[in-house]
Amino acid sequence: MAGILDDLILIGSWCVYFYKDYFSGAPYIDQSTIKTRDIDFLIDTPSKIKRDVNIPELLKDLGFVTIYRGNRGFIKLDHPDLILEFLVPEKGKGTDKPVPLSKFGLNAVALRFLTFLSGNTIKVKVEDFYITLPHPANFALHKLIIFQRRIKEEKAIKDRNTAVGILKALINKGDAAIVRQIFNSVPQKWQKKIIKGLEKVEEIAILNKLSAKGTDV
Amino acid sequence: MRGVIKGVLAEELENSLRMQKEYEGALKKLPEGCLAIKKIRGHEYYYLVKRLKDKVKYIYKGKISEEEKKQYGEAKELRVKYRKLLSQVKKQIRFLRSSLRGKEAI
Repeated sequence: MAGILDDLILIGSWCVYFYKDYFSGAPYIDQSTIKTRDIDFLIDTPSKIKRDVNIPELLKDLGFVTIYRGNRGFIKLDHPDLILEFLVPEKGKGTDKPVPLSKFGLNAVALRFLTFLSGNTIKVKVEDFYITLPHPANFALHKLIIFQRRIKEEKAIKDRNTAVGILKALINKGDAAIVRQIFNSVPQKWQKKIIKGLEKVEEIAILNKLSAKGTDV
Repeated sequence: MRGVIKGVLAEELENSLRMQKEYEGALKKLPEGCLAIKKIRGHEYYYLVKRLKDKVKYIYKGKISEEEKKQYGEAKELRVKYRKLLSQVKKQIRFLRSSLRGKEAI
């Protein structure tokens, strides 16, 4: 399984837990994020998958069952302790059909804005292997975009709080310049969404850091 | 709005209910019964042991292939695993239902 992790990027609320190493030495409480059992893996370029590993078959031994969600048949791997789902960045016009990942014996959901997460990643050591995560700044700014698209209000609040918590931790760590640099690299439309998200929660201090020009903090 | 914590718990309840169905379905899909070997005068005879209502029946299988033996072995292992996990899921459902009983938004 560790070999397969090279092709996967962990996204979703579990990232917050694994960021604790990145923030070592700076005040950071991962418990602020309530986590569900869902673990989302992003596959940035499905065509680049090298290994032929049937993941459902591999995890069957551990008691995982494969479920086909909705009438489109999106695959989820269920276990009482974990629920695995696979995502790919949506390209072009997009699709509401599952994207086949034949080398893994799976399919994936295509979603917008995911290239923003895969474009800047960090590696974290977990026991004797490494997992790839989006850079915390990308993760937090992405959350600020998507919380505004959530249908369920409680999910939106959870995303928003997570984003604000991580941005504050980054600023406290002295990474405000990195946050600003990443913010400046995204399209203006996304920048507006991020600003709108921060304005909604009146996070003036973070807004000021994003708009500060040329001054590293 | 039911609050962030309750929202997460409700989502998890939905997940556990789905899992319960899935594990029950997976158990039904497994071949029924267990393979039992009886040794009579040095020869091995295979029987399929099944529970029919309240009685345990031994159904003579005659000679069976290695492949079939392997399938029954795997099914036995998976049945144990799935039953254990199903019991875990049922406990989760009980816990989540009781946690969601209150009306307060948290």
